Amino acid sequence: MFSSTREGLALALPAAIFALLLFIVPVGILLSEAFQSDTGWTLQGYVDFFAKPLNQTVFLRTLKLGVLVAGTAAVIGYAAAFSISNLSPVARGRVFGLIILPLMISPVARTYAWIVILGRTGIVNDAIIGLGLSETPIRLLFTETAVFLGLLQLFMPLMIISLLSAMENIPRDVIPAARVLGASWFQVFFKVILPLTKEGLVVGGTLVFTGALTAYITPAILGGSKVLMLETLLYQRVNVANDFVSASVIAMILIVMSFAANLLLKRIATARK
Amino acid sequence: MTKTLTFSALCCLLAAPALAQDKTLTISTYSFAQDAYKEALYDPFEAICDCELVIETGNSVERMSKIEANANDPVIDMAVISSHDALALARKDLLAPLDVASIPNHAKLYEAAKDPLGGHMAVGYTFYASSIVYRTDLVEIDSWADLLDEKLAGNVSLPNIIGTQGPLTLMMLGKAAGEESADYKAVISDIGAHADDIVTFYSRSSELAQLMNQEEVIAAPVGRFAWSRFKSSPLPFAWAEPAEGQAGGMNVMIMTKGNGNEELAYQFMDFWLSTEVQTRIAEALIDSPANAEVVVSEEVADNLTYGAELINSLNILPPAEIIDNREAWVEQWNNEVIR
Repeated sequence: MFSSTREGLALALPAAIFALLLFIVPVGILLSEAFQSDTGWTLQGYVDFFAKPLNQTVFLRTLKLGVLVAGTAAVIGYAAAFSISNLSPVARGRVFGLIILPLMISPVARTYAWIVILGRTGIVNDAIIGLGLSETPIRLLFTETAVFLGLLQLFMPLMIISLLSAMENIPRDVIPAARVLGASWFQVFFKVILPLTKEGLVVGGTLVFTGALTAYITPAILGGSKVLMLETLLYQRVNVANDFVSASVIAMILIVMSFAANLLLKRIATARK
Repeated sequence: MTKTLTFSALCCLLAAPALAQDKTLTISTYSFAQDAYKEALYDPFEAICDCELVIETGNSVERMSKIEANANDPVIDMAVISSHDALALARKDLLAPLDVASIPNHAKLYEAAKDPLGGHMAVGYTFYASSIVYRTDLVEIDSWADLLDEKLAGNVSLPNIIGTQGPLTLMMLGKAAGEESADYKAVISDIGAHADDIVTFYSRSSELAQLMNQEEVIAAPVGRFAWSRFKSSPLPFAWAEPAEGQAGGMNVMIMTKGNGNEELAYQFMDFWLSTEVQTRIAEALIDSPANAEVVVSEEVADNLTYGAELINSLNILPPAEIIDNREAWVEQWNNEVIR
């Protein structure tokens, strides 16, 4: 494409310098605090962090919600992507537009909508009471359920888009051929669709899991201080306690979790070859 | 000669704005109500001081960090902050004691505001009462102990321990339970035992107002400065007068050590504490006055922490108790309440 490698490098240089000076260097300096003490390099910050029961709870809750959100998004995303991929091009375009519509709305507005839906006087509680399932409103806000629903709604489009993109690359005849040869839908999914869309699953899974780990607004509004996650805990450490060492430790844990999720998904995808 | 005089006068006229711009005062303040402060305080002061005010806003932690990080060459001349945060800065030797002779309006302050930290390290400029806001159609509040009573289970919110209102709530719950010690261990354990009955631990009064207006919460402790948010609601809210009384706190003015701009800072502090400015700020419902000579209408007073009788009756938690115990409170809170 380029007449020389040098031209290609020259074109990439501004973006590389931008990323290096304004992202990698400052983040590196900040994160290095998580390995420093008055006496030199240390892992004591991590030992201290995981020694506290609250931090253990928050870490496990973040991991659990990240996995649940990514897993649920994958299940719903496959069904949605499969349905959409079988629509006519016009209908597909319209449905695709509806899927990406939430991404164009502020996460704050989207999250506040959940307060209206999940509140004591919200639609869900009205329905529960109306159906006679409970005499009094059920506590839904400031629970892990509320955070889970908020995160799922927030990141589901990313999974659907990734899977849809992968599914559109499946040759049209493959699924009918498998069915004609006697494969059940269960076998079609696990033996045909899943192996052929694994790249989309890896991308979507990483995006959703990482997004759920690092989201701040949704856990802060729907979970409050009773459902702390690593990101909300990080904010507290910086803005309340001015404790940049703990904040750096949390930031490093989040980065490691994101990379680990990506590697794990890639490993699973490779193992299915 | 006439030409020379005209030229000199022109030079003076042109130079005047430049000189005024050279004279600046940098203040650090809370970020709320800045438009109202500009109208009631900043603009009128700039009109008389022939100087420029540089306003730096942010939360307490950010602003304290900035003062500490620039201790050797202060970038903030004066700041307004909570009394316990001021004490934390004073203990780090970051503040200069105030020369109250340079603040003539200091004499007009309520006694509690004149020297809240000792050694004239700060001067109070506003008080706030703290009590319980509740729904009169659903519940009756007679005591701070009602917050953890069965009748409010699942409908009550408490302030987070890390905010200003948190320690005040601990103090009043301790008072209701007859606990004298400031470590409030039994109170925090009691809150922990009732954690499932508490909807959430709010951080900002605006967050609480939203929850109460959406009927998620029917009772919660809050500062009087937020009362107007509830008063204007169509829902029937009332300000409780519990048997143990109301809690209270104070925000103070401080001067950074060695800022080199002391004269202008004193002028600004004195202006802020004057009867005229404190009245204007009170009437705009920004802050309750610390100047005892301020007189406001009953309607305005109803939104504020106003009057000698109320201010003298407040249960104020000594700043030193907050600073000395806060770390232990947060530790126990994290283990037993947040979990």
